[in-house]
Amino acid sequence: VIAPALMVAPAAAQAAQAAAQTGVSGSLSSYLAVSGVLFLLGVATILVRRNALYVLMGVELILNAANLNFVAFARFGDHGLDGQMFALFVVILAAAEAAIALAIVLRIFHDFGTIDITRTDSLRD
Amino acid sequence: MLDFMFFVFAALAVLGAIVLFAHPSIVHGAFALVAALTGVAGLYWTLGADFLGAAQLLLYVGGVTVLLLFAVMLTTRDVQRIQLGRYVLGSVMVGLLGMFLLQAYQGVLAVMGPADALPDPQPTTAGLGAAFLDRTQYLLPFEAVSVLLLVVLVGAVTVARRSKQGGA
Repeated sequence: VIAPALMVAPAAAQAAQAAAQTGVSGSLSSYLAVSGVLFLLGVATILVRRNALYVLMGVELILNAANLNFVAFARFGDHGLDGQMFALFVVILAAAEAAIALAIVLRIFHDFGTIDITRTDSLRD
Repeated sequence: MLDFMFFVFAALAVLGAIVLFAHPSIVHGAFALVAALTGVAGLYWTLGADFLGAAQLLLYVGGVTVLLLFAVMLTTRDVQRIQLGRYVLGSVMVGLLGMFLLQAYQGVLAVMGPADALPDPQPTTAGLGAAFLDRTQYLLPFEAVSVLLLVVLVGAVTVARRSKQGGA
């Protein structure tokens, strides 16, 4: 089960190496590598699991990876606070999304008796 | 010192994400997500985003994951094994995406050019507050988000309510 993670790790190391070659200070690329790994693990979680809650958690991971990019670019690209503002809005919207999505998940469980996303195939009773 | 903290928080984030992906139990996965989100909050701090890190801890670690754990305990009964077909599909997709991401990062880093010496991080809370309430910056999104949160509050209650009869 660890194999995709092992596939990702060399990619991250390679990204850091590439950054060192292009002369950018290593820090930005290391943040980008962490963010990339989080993003890929989020995508892998969404694709591999059938439980709707895993899909939600994968989405949270992806949003956090994007946020990390916002903040890292704002810090290293000299863009003031704009990156952090974007990240804050993303955090707020993610909280809203989680609340609604979990309400829907509870409702689906109530109606279908399961939250397996391959077995919920109708929108009405 | 900051580099050391970077490695600690990066390891926390990545290991949490790996456990979430790989562990068969969803409750363990949810707690691993808490670790991953805490690691990301720490990474915000190493980037000088003090307020954002605190908001991440309060909203994500304190709020979203508690909601998630409630949903997990209310809905999931058993441990689900990953099907082989999905596993293969996931691996292939992630491999392709990873290669694409690598290309994109290399392009971006080539454009960014060498970084100058960075100034020390300053407190950001006052600046963020001023930007939120500045008419020429983020006042409109700020108000829109306030309305959105109200809508979400009412909507979540409406959707999750048990009884189907009773009108409205």
